[in-house]
Amino acid sequence: MVALQGGLTRHGVRHAVGFLNRHGRRALLCLPLLFVAAFLVVPLGLTIIVSFWERAGLKFRPAFSLASYTTIVEGARLDVLMRSIIVAIETTAISLLLAYPIAYFLARKARPQATRIVLVLFTIPFLINYIVRNVAWTSLLGRNGTVNTALVESGIAGAPLDWLLYSDFAVFLGLISTYMPFMIFPLVLSIAAIDRQFLEASVDLGASAFSTFRRITLPLSLPGIFAAIVFGFVGTMGESAVPVIMGGVGYELLGNTITSSMDVLNYPLAAAISSLVVALMLMLMVGWYAIFDLKTFLGKILEWRP
Amino acid sequence: MIKRHWSMWLLIGLVLFVLYMPIVPVLILSVRGEAAGEWTLRWYHELSQTTMILKALRTTAIIAGLVGALATVLGLLAALSIRELGIPRIILLAMLLPLFIPGVSMGLASALLFSMSGIPSSILTIVIVQTVWALPFATLIILTVMAAFDPTYLEAAYVAGASRWQAFRDIEFPLIAPGVYGAASFSLIISINETVRTSVVQGPWNTIPTYIWSTYKQVGLSPVLYALMGLIIISTIILALSYLALSRPRKSRG
Repeated sequence: MVALQGGLTRHGVRHAVGFLNRHGRRALLCLPLLFVAAFLVVPLGLTIIVSFWERAGLKFRPAFSLASYTTIVEGARLDVLMRSIIVAIETTAISLLLAYPIAYFLARKARPQATRIVLVLFTIPFLINYIVRNVAWTSLLGRNGTVNTALVESGIAGAPLDWLLYSDFAVFLGLISTYMPFMIFPLVLSIAAIDRQFLEASVDLGASAFSTFRRITLPLSLPGIFAAIVFGFVGTMGESAVPVIMGGVGYELLGNTITSSMDVLNYPLAAAISSLVVALMLMLMVGWYAIFDLKTFLGKILEWRP
Repeated sequence: MIKRHWSMWLLIGLVLFVLYMPIVPVLILSVRGEAAGEWTLRWYHELSQTTMILKALRTTAIIAGLVGALATVLGLLAALSIRELGIPRIILLAMLLPLFIPGVSMGLASALLFSMSGIPSSILTIVIVQTVWALPFATLIILTVMAAFDPTYLEAAYVAGASRWQAFRDIEFPLIAPGVYGAASFSLIISINETVRTSVVQGPWNTIPTYIWSTYKQVGLSPVLYALMGLIIISTIILALSYLALSRPRKSRG
């Protein structure tokens, strides 16, 4: 009897495992895809729909209205959109100009041990809450902050410098120090992945160090450059806290325009601005995907067939 | 070596200096007393006496634990599904999508979803939004480790009569475990730090970062806020170092 029971249970378990192997496994593997679809793709679709709805008092109701979009085009928000794009391009470019040489140096010239330590040092500030880091800047850069006190006491400046905080300088400093560490990692990865044989061949054929860089390293590190640009641009373009903390009252970039529209419960307008930003980002994503070499990244995973 | 590249080391040093510069005064100000030259842990003590902060701390810990578990499991499944479902490009693109969506836009979109489907703000809605944000990082970390794993080991296990589950549990998982721990620590850190997305869907639930953000906007800086920021900085550093210790590549495997 006991043996029979044991056999039954074992049979049952084997049956269940077999069933799971056949259907459950596939269903389980589909979960991440479904999760992203349900909690990101559908919500973004909703945002587009709501952007055409109209306001009714403090609420909004279904309609097909272009009111939110005309508000963006006619009002000062078009200026904000243009300025946000320019600020995002400028901060991304500055960050790239800083990050590329550092990444190149770490991937090629520095000893592996040193590279590892420096990368760890870049990781830590990148992981510390950026709101904390930006708020911390305000206590350093304010009129009575540490920097101004030091400058005045040492006699370098006669009076506290006003442009250190609540200025373009502060916003740029905040955005660059927030997103630059993001950009170093894809650059280091892509430069380190370039096959050294290409470089040796180039040198053997008599190319100078500069032309080796221009014709081998630079083109082969393009996927990393593009990933870095995407990280920097997406971050700075949609940033809603840094302009508030470092730019002060009235400093408007697209990100905090969205938040302030939400604060006054104008969800259709917030949705319309947000949809425009997301559309821009998706175009970037398509561009990145076109030049991203999946094979070097996924390696054997792509070749494997179960 | 160092002499030859002194200008690059100088650049790196300068950039790191700027990145670390704001962190140091926070730590100093958080242990400064009211009288000049006085050092005190009073503000940290005051933190432990404030009910709102304690509640936010508990919420943050619960959410971080849930996000760390959920994002890691989903990331592992995503990495496996990229290998096995036969549509690697589509799945990878979907997993990386959250990286391309600015924080406010993601927050707004989730808020619309939850409010239109009648789901009230809760710890669960925060967990969902943060997991979407942590998923690309978790997936990428596991994928990088998995890309170094030679799948012929699995075939060998099947030939030896192992089931798929056994082969995964006994052969693959131990080899990709550093990636899984890495994904878990990274998701925890992302959860502890996330602010913009969370602040849109938080409802009445404050996490430590949303508490800092709203307090800063309403009343500005105070010694207690410095202590709270100090707490975040110190715990992030500890988590980051433990991640590095756990995910250190094994020298050889025999």
